[in-house]
Amino acid sequence: MYKWFLAIRYLRTKLIAVFGIASVMLCVAMVLVVLSVMGGFLDTVRERARGLHSEIVLEAGTLQGVPYYEEFGAYLQQQLPGVVDIVTPVIYTYGIFRVPATTWTKPARVLGVHLDDYVRVNTFAGGLHYDKYYPGSSRLDPQSMPVAGVGPSGDLVLPPDLQQANASWRESEADPEALTAYDADPFVEAPYPYVTATPRSTSERVYAAEPGPPRYAGPERDGVIVGVDLLFARRTSGTFERYLARGADVALTLMPLSPAGNPMGELPSKVPLRYVDDSRTGIFEIDSLCVYVDFDMLQHRLAMDPQPLADGGMTKPRANQLLISTREGVDINEAKDQIAMAWSVYGASLGLDPDSQEARALGLAAVYTWEDMQRQFINAVEKEKVLVTFLFTLISMVAIVLVGCIFYMIVEKKTRDIGILKSIGASSLGVAGLFVVYAGAVGLVGSILGTIFGSVVVWYINDIQDFLASLHPQLRMWSPDVYSFDQIPNVVKQADAVWVASMAVLASILGSIIPARIAGRVWPVEALRYE
Amino acid sequence: MLRARGLHKSYRMGRSHVHVLRGASLDVGRGEFLVIRGASGSGKSTLLHLLGALDIPDRGSVEFEGTDLFDRGDAIRRAYRRRSIGFVFQFYHLLPECNVLENVLMPRLVAHSLLGWRSARRTARRDAATILERVGLSERSKHRPSELSGGERQRVAIARAIVNDPVVLLADEPTGNLDARIGGEILELLTELNEAGQTVIMVTHDDKVASRAHRRVQLTEGIIKEMDGSGGDAASARRIIKEVAP
Ligand SMILES: Nc1ncnc2c1ncn2[C@@H]1O[C@H](COP(=O)(O)OP(=O)(O)O)[C@@H](O)[C@H]1O
Ligand SMILES: [Mg+2]
Repeated sequence: MYKWFLAIRYLRTKLIAVFGIASVMLCVAMVLVVLSVMGGFLDTVRERARGLHSEIVLEAGTLQGVPYYEEFGAYLQQQLPGVVDIVTPVIYTYGIFRVPATTWTKPARVLGVHLDDYVRVNTFAGGLHYDKYYPGSSRLDPQSMPVAGVGPSGDLVLPPDLQQANASWRESEADPEALTAYDADPFVEAPYPYVTATPRSTSERVYAAEPGPPRYAGPERDGVIVGVDLLFARRTSGTFERYLARGADVALTLMPLSPAGNPMGELPSKVPLRYVDDSRTGIFEIDSLCVYVDFDMLQHRLAMDPQPLADGGMTKPRANQLLISTREGVDINEAKDQIAMAWSVYGASLGLDPDSQEARALGLAAVYTWEDMQRQFINAVEKEKVLVTFLFTLISMVAIVLVGCIFYMIVEKKTRDIGILKSIGASSLGVAGLFVVYAGAVGLVGSILGTIFGSVVVWYINDIQDFLASLHPQLRMWSPDVYSFDQIPNVVKQADAVWVASMAVLASILGSIIPARIAGRVWPVEALRYE
Repeated sequence: MLRARGLHKSYRMGRSHVHVLRGASLDVGRGEFLVIRGASGSGKSTLLHLLGALDIPDRGSVEFEGTDLFDRGDAIRRAYRRRSIGFVFQFYHLLPECNVLENVLMPRLVAHSLLGWRSARRTARRDAATILERVGLSERSKHRPSELSGGERQRVAIARAIVNDPVVLLADEPTGNLDARIGGEILELLTELNEAGQTVIMVTHDDKVASRAHRRVQLTEGIIKEMDGSGGDAASARRIIKEVAP
């Protein structure tokens, strides 16, 4: 009984316990912050990787693509109706992206997508910029340039369909802050051609447009959605410097390939396009490289649509990927196996000459899950997890040593008390137990305080960083222009908190074991000889 | 009841050995008030520690009611310290974080497990209150040792020593740090306890203090010698002194 009694009493009356508690608290807070931020970071990365494609992907494995993708899609939906939900093809190739107004060029990975289906198999739609404020207005089909004009009441207005889209967004937007942010600077937030903004004061701008009513102008051109980092630089505030207005002329230079992979047609093929939106998946490597155009347009431009053959027949159209979304509740690894099986059964059912180009293309295609597709990326993520765990272990060691030192000091100071307890019949084990209980109590109190402190830090971490950055820009710890996240992850997982806290209690107890054993060995007479 | 035979104890001081006890033997009977006298550094504390099983002799034995305290493991000595003796130190040795009542209760706390304490608590508190009354400290039970005078602290130490109702009370110069008047009061208290039946073994180098005892022995050169003119004839009837050749 005296163990518990004295442990609590020491905890309440000894100043040194405060140091023990403080060190455990700081360790717990530190580990919890690191774990929460890193964990949040990893979760976001994973989440985004998942949203890139679709659950399952049939990948051609070559740039020239695979035939029979359409037939196979239909076959899948007929054979595995309980597994397969939406099937949509993608073409990808590489090209040179150019903004003629600036003579500025960049390499680009060009994706041809059926936008309506594409946004249903992944999270692409959530990363579109103009489409947020003007829902449904980002299309890839040929279109003219939207031009703002002066409305009846003298303000700047857009063509009616865009006005309407914007109004529908305003009605449905749940976040009032998003509305205020947009209203503060609508044409800077989402620029349109010929609108110039002159600051009248720091809080107000005046917009001017070309004379005339709102309208669509210029030739119709195929739309292109551009990865945001490919076009714009990111500010430290996390927003983008949008110098290009919606509808601006841009161009892509492409290189068509024959089914065998040889360059073909008139080389190279230059495609004028209209910038309709920009996309942000949150993964820099993608957003700084990818542009999205209409599937049929790209297929045609790359000569992957049916081509006449010498014998009078036509080639089969080709695509590079077939994105397959699964139905809810389906295990995606099982689905992958089923679809892979279906692919080989389907290929065999075609009865192609095994040496033919088509048969070889079919043989090169393979089925992957989204995780397989992002294997490299996810592996890197998992490596970081290992790193975090390693750091965590290291920190725990520090905590153990720290607690050990503090308890060693406590034992030194309490030798006389130990002698007294032994002289009235306490056992070595009992005295050692006293210090273990004491350490456990220090660990417990420290853990609880540390969990609270750490959680508060995590919850307010973005405010803390804003405050630090306001003191000195160098103190900004998270730069949104480097990471693709605007904000430092600020969620504490309950399981993490419980785990960290209990590890800290355990570490405290572990740290006290050596000092406790020393205490247990104290020879009563030695401890009591002198005042 | 308590019987020490041929106790040897030496300490290492660097290279050399200090041979403090060189075959000390002693018998103590129930109800006795025995004073062990000796010059400073003669080994009185060492002897008392051996009698209280706080230390282990190099040679020799201590028997308590026929049980040898040193021929087996620590458990016997622990039980002996817990139940059969109470120890009073020259420097009080109270727990500074605990108040008077808690210090007195500490031997009870040590004797009970967490679960056992629930049932033992009420009696323990009542006993402690009675004992504090007896040593005249009822008013100060909530005070910390640091708030007490030396005499009061020694009273608390005595209260703690007797709370488990020990067979023998061992006191190592209990008045050594107190002035004559306060020391006298402490002696008075020990005498009262003895008169109520408590066996007391006290160590002192003060002749005046020694005069209180039924029986006095002298520790010189590491052995016990019975003193001539020991007070109290009852004591001399009980005395058993033996010198064992080293
Ligand atoms: N732990 C020890 N180490 C070395 N010498 C000791 C130790 N304990 C006691 N002594 C020595 O033993 C002798 C007797 O000590 P002690 O029993 O305390 O004497 P007393 O209580 O009669 O003054 C002294 O000379 C003391 O210095
Ligand atoms: Mg002494």
